[in-house]
Amino acid sequence: MTASHPIAAGAAVEAAAPARRRIWNRYRFWEAATPYLFVAPVLVVVGVFIYWPLIYSIYLSFFDWNFISPVKEFVGFANFVRLADDPRFHQALWGTLIYIVALVPAQVLLPLGLAQLLWPIRKSRAQGFYRVTLFSPTVISFSVAALLWLWIFHPLQGILNKVIFDAGFAKVNWLSNPNTAIWCVIVVSIWKTFGFNLLLYLAALEAVPTDYVEAASLDGASGWQMFRLIRFPLITPTFFFVLVTTVISVNDEVFGAINVMTDGGPFDRSSNIVYYLYEQGFRVFQIGSASAVSLLIFIGTAILTWVQFRYVERRVHYG
Amino acid sequence: MGSWPALAANPVEILVLHVWGTPPGQAAASTMHPIAQLIEAFNAKNPGIVVRGETPSTDYFATLQKAQAQIAAGRAPALVTTPWSNINFAVQGLQVAPLEKIGGNEARAVLANYKDEVLPLVTMNKQTVGLPLAFSCPVMYYNNDIMKKAGVDPAELFKDWDSFKRLGPKVKAVTGNPILGLGNNADWEAQSIIQCNGGRVLDDNLRPAWDSPQAVAAMQTIAEVNKAGLYLQSTTQESNAAFISGSLAIWMASIASLGGLAKQVKFDLQTSPFPVFAGKPRKMSSGGSFLGCYARDKEQQHAAWEFLKFVGSKEGMGIWLKTGYLNSTKFDFPVLPGQESAYIQLREGLTRESPWPGSRAAEIQKVWGTYVQRIWAGDISAEEGCKQAKQQAAPLFPKT
Repeated sequence: MTASHPIAAGAAVEAAAPARRRIWNRYRFWEAATPYLFVAPVLVVVGVFIYWPLIYSIYLSFFDWNFISPVKEFVGFANFVRLADDPRFHQALWGTLIYIVALVPAQVLLPLGLAQLLWPIRKSRAQGFYRVTLFSPTVISFSVAALLWLWIFHPLQGILNKVIFDAGFAKVNWLSNPNTAIWCVIVVSIWKTFGFNLLLYLAALEAVPTDYVEAASLDGASGWQMFRLIRFPLITPTFFFVLVTTVISVNDEVFGAINVMTDGGPFDRSSNIVYYLYEQGFRVFQIGSASAVSLLIFIGTAILTWVQFRYVERRVHYG
Repeated sequence: MGSWPALAANPVEILVLHVWGTPPGQAAASTMHPIAQLIEAFNAKNPGIVVRGETPSTDYFATLQKAQAQIAAGRAPALVTTPWSNINFAVQGLQVAPLEKIGGNEARAVLANYKDEVLPLVTMNKQTVGLPLAFSCPVMYYNNDIMKKAGVDPAELFKDWDSFKRLGPKVKAVTGNPILGLGNNADWEAQSIIQCNGGRVLDDNLRPAWDSPQAVAAMQTIAEVNKAGLYLQSTTQESNAAFISGSLAIWMASIASLGGLAKQVKFDLQTSPFPVFAGKPRKMSSGGSFLGCYARDKEQQHAAWEFLKFVGSKEGMGIWLKTGYLNSTKFDFPVLPGQESAYIQLREGLTRESPWPGSRAAEIQKVWGTYVQRIWAGDISAEEGCKQAKQQAAPLFPKT
């Protein structure tokens, strides 16, 4: 048999080699591709619902379009130029700055302080009570919460003005006064959202190894030293996460309060850039303008996040 | 109407977006609103058509916005309550179908039932863009118990703005609160006040005219009312709650609120026409909304027209007028207590609500409305505010 001849056998082996290589290559291909196949559904969802809208809104920012008209008129950078000239946009930018300056410290530091106060009673039932009480506003819908706050702030019948009037002061038109409306929105936003960050801090404090705390306690560390030198450094990853997510979301979170309580008023003084975007897109139907604003928000948020990663993350202890 | 195809064997369902129901997530009202009664009565008589009413929001603009999104998605609602002020946008932006197109030969007969002074309000380019359903004008609601306590004759108080400023402090002394609250978007009431002083918001070419001496003087009048501590700077929700509770004496708002207010207040509720400017005629703005047909599909348009015919019939109007809106038809219906003031203003001649022009119409209205509030609140002088509003709105007007 020719097959038994050593040369012929060698030729057969050589002939079989490409086939084996093909199988091997196919195996390696599928091995490399499998993870991508697993994440493909997620990539499709992210692509369709995040990246495509982002790209499409960049495209729309160069057009004048009202959502319905079959014709989108190309206007170049006109939407951006118009924003630069629009006093209402300037007012919204100013409002955005005030919200960031007031709300970021309040939503990052206030829950941290409260978590620190609640930590010593972590084993008692009281903490559960406090957790539920402080977290409840977070899960109440804004429309329900707003009714409560609208009653509190009412200029003639509100409980706040009643207290102020009884104390001998003049009543204040809280939501209609250009100097107070934005602060009312800020108060409601803090009340509504700080509970979530409080829970994150409490969970992080629970995870701090007790031997560090006990050792510091034996060495006579004060409560403040214990927080500053032991607990806080160990929860900095949570702190950093809270800081970054708060900066990203603060102007979104405040939207509900603006929409329900003030409509951005009086005279746009409680508006912010997200509310301005909403008005441009869905109240005055200027999709091009709204897309231009959304692009600016995206760029601004990306810069702020980069700054935090660049300058704050280096102080984070990941254990 | 021979040109229409016969309705299919299966009932045709049409959607009516309106502002008088219960928005999603809110508790339903205990009594059925007349719009729901209209729909129910029509459905009972027309087995081939099912009308479904939906209230995305009680706000006109939010409802129109929902309609816009649905049109953009290719699911145009058949009928939408469209505010008068958005008539240009309805025609140019949303391509509303004229009644002459969807009603064919029947349209003329249906429209013949409407008052002559009403039809021009829904006419653009010689076509009727919708059925004038919710027809209103602003009036002064007042708490007559407070007036009696103050010893003020309401007829004298509301005679003209000078009387109002002179007698207002007496009314204020009863409650200790400002006496006048605003119940609608400020630009609507501002239009009436400006017109009563011989000014206009927009001229015949739909260009801003709100900086004329007459308009500025009218705006200054309300600023002076505010300066005297008589005007309540508040949101419309707040002024509404204050008036119902009896802590606010006067509320300027649409006559359409009459039905709801009458059920809620526990005092002697009365209405008055707006004060005039001494020696000048009253010239109020109409308001409310028309039912515009946005259906693109012929079958839907046909069903929508059948519903509109019912709404415009005597039976339909009889149901609808329970709301407190004005009778826009020639059919005889009794005037509800409190509506007299609105009919006085109607007979004196109502103008169209400012038809904001161009693709940036809503933005122009927003700019002007913001300046109206600023002027009335004393945040800016009337002259400077009217001037700045014109400058800020100028790039938003369509190029001529």
